[in-house]
Amino acid sequence: MLHLLKIDLKKLIDYRTFWVICGLYFFTLITGAASGMEFLKWIARTFEGFGQKINIDRIPLYHFPDIWQNLAWGGGLLKIGLAIMVVISITNEFTYRTVRQNVIDGMSREQFILSKVLTNLLLSLTSMIGLFLIAVVTGLIYSPTFDFPYGFTGIAFYPAYFLEVFAFLSFALMLGTLIQRSGLTIVLLLNSYLIELIVKENIDNYFPQVVQFFPLESIMNLVPLPFARYAFQEIRDYVTISSVAIAIVWTFLFNYFAYLKLKKSDI
Amino acid sequence: METVLSIRQLTKNFGRLCAVNHIDLEVKRGQVFGMLGPNGSGKTTTLGMLMGVINPSAGDFSWFGQPATHQIRKKIGAVLEHPIFYPYLSGQKNLELMALIKEAPVANIAKVLELVELSSRKDDKYRTYSLGMKQRLAIASALLNDPIVLILDEPTNGLDPMGIAEIREIIKRISTDGKTIILASHLLDEVQKVCSHFAILRKGNMVHVGPVDDVGKGEETVEIMAYHDDLAILLGSFEGAMSVKKEAQQYLVKMKEGFHSLELNRYLFERGIVATHLVTQKKSLEKQFLEILAEADHAALTKN
Repeated sequence: MLHLLKIDLKKLIDYRTFWVICGLYFFTLITGAASGMEFLKWIARTFEGFGQKINIDRIPLYHFPDIWQNLAWGGGLLKIGLAIMVVISITNEFTYRTVRQNVIDGMSREQFILSKVLTNLLLSLTSMIGLFLIAVVTGLIYSPTFDFPYGFTGIAFYPAYFLEVFAFLSFALMLGTLIQRSGLTIVLLLNSYLIELIVKENIDNYFPQVVQFFPLESIMNLVPLPFARYAFQEIRDYVTISSVAIAIVWTFLFNYFAYLKLKKSDI
Repeated sequence: METVLSIRQLTKNFGRLCAVNHIDLEVKRGQVFGMLGPNGSGKTTTLGMLMGVINPSAGDFSWFGQPATHQIRKKIGAVLEHPIFYPYLSGQKNLELMALIKEAPVANIAKVLELVELSSRKDDKYRTYSLGMKQRLAIASALLNDPIVLILDEPTNGLDPMGIAEIREIIKRISTDGKTIILASHLLDEVQKVCSHFAILRKGNMVHVGPVDDVGKGEETVEIMAYHDDLAILLGSFEGAMSVKKEAQQYLVKMKEGFHSLELNRYLFERGIVATHLVTQKKSLEKQFLEILAEADHAALTKN
C-alpha cells in the first residue's frame, strides 16, 4: 500500500504544476478564513450607509464552537481546486500514455488506480488537518472564550469534511479515467453541479425524498450550510449517519467505476 | 530447453478487424526471436497482449509455464513502440520511478545509464532529449531490472547508423548472457544479423516460424566470371546447372540440389578455364520474407 503511494507521489513531487495548484489551494484556504471577518465588517459598513446598525460582535462567525462548521463548509467550496489537480494527474497518464508503460513495467491496473486513490486519501487528510489548524488559529484570534467540552461541539464536521473532499476527488478521478482528456474533464467537473441541479430541481417536486441520494448532493449534505442560523433560522448543526453512509457508498462506486473502466480498456 | 513463452490460440479483434488471429508460438530460453511483418500485421498488438496492456479477445499465454501476472512483468524488460516517459521528469527521475515500480535496485540506474551513454544528460528533463536519446533511455529502462526476457519493438526506429550499430551490439551482448530476446522489426537485415529464430506475421496470421539458419538452404545460385568466348555454352552443359542467365558482366548459374560452387569450379578448371569471379549468392532473409509473404498472399487468393 505504502509502496503504491510512494510510486504516485514520485510522479508528483517533481511536477511543478502540482505544487503550484496545491500551494494556491492551501493559500486560498488561509486567505478565505482570514477574510471572513473583513467581509462581516464590509456588510456592517454597507448597512450603516442605509441607516441600520449591525453589531458584528453579535455574529459569532469565528467563535468556538460555531467556527468548526462554518470553516468546514467554506473549505468545502474550495475542494474544486484539489479536484482539478487530481484530474490533471490522471489525464496526464493517458495523454503521455504513461499508464501503459506503468502496466508494462509491472503494475496491475488495480494497483494503478489504487495508487491514485491513496494519493487522494492523502490530499484529503492533509486538507482536513490544514483546515483544522486554520480553524484553531482563527478561533484563538477571534473567539472570546473557549469552554471545554462545549467548544468542541461540531468537531465531527472535520471527519465529515475529510469524507466530502475524498468523495469529490474520487468523483474527479472517475471522470478523468472515463474521459481521459484534461480540458473536457475539468469543464464537465465544473458543470456537474449545474447538471445535477437541473435534474434535482425537477425531481424535487415529485420525489423529494430521492434528492438526498444524488451523488453531488450527498457530498454537499455532509456539511450543511450553517450561516442561516445568524438569521435566526434552524439549521442542522450535526453530522447525520445517513449522509455519511450515502457519501461512502458513492465514493466506493466512483473508485470502482474508475477501476472497471481501466480494466476493460486497451491502454 | 526451458520454454520461456508459450502462446496458445491468441486472438485480438478490434471491432470487426481481426488484428491477431489464433497465434501459437513457443519461445525457448536463450533464443533471440525476431517477429517480422509489414506495418499493421499485428506485431505490436501481440506484444501488447503479452505485456498486459491489451486484453486478448481469446486464447492465452504463459511466461515460464505460469499464467501471466503483473509480478512476472517486473522481470521482463520491454519497450513497445515509442519510448514512453514523464516529459517533466529528468531521465534519472524517470528511471527512479521505474525502479520503484519494478522493485529494481537503485544502483542499477547508474549502470544502465552508463551503458547507453546518457550519464551526462541524466539530470535534464526528458522532453529536452533528442529522438535517439529517448530511444536509448528506453533501452536503459528495459535493462533496469536485470530482465530474464527482453522485448524490443522496433528498437532502432529513427536512429542514425551509429546508433543502430550500438543497439545491435547491446542486443548481441545481452543475448550472450543467455537472456531471451524478442525483437519486433521490419528491418530484415537487422533480424538476420542478431536473431536465432524468427516468425512472420501477415494480417494477424502467423505464416512462418523457424530458425534463421534455415534461411538460404535449398538450391544455390553462383555468380561466375571468366575470360572465355563460349562460357555460356560450357556452363549450360554443366550437369549441375539448372539454368544459366547473363547479367551484366557475369553469369548466374542456378544449381541443382546437391551441387555447389565447388563442383562448378572443378568442372571449369578441368576444361582449362580459370574463373576470375566465383561467388555463391546467399539467400537473404529479405528474399525469403518476400517469398513467404507472396506465397501467403497467393494462398489467401486461391482460398477465396
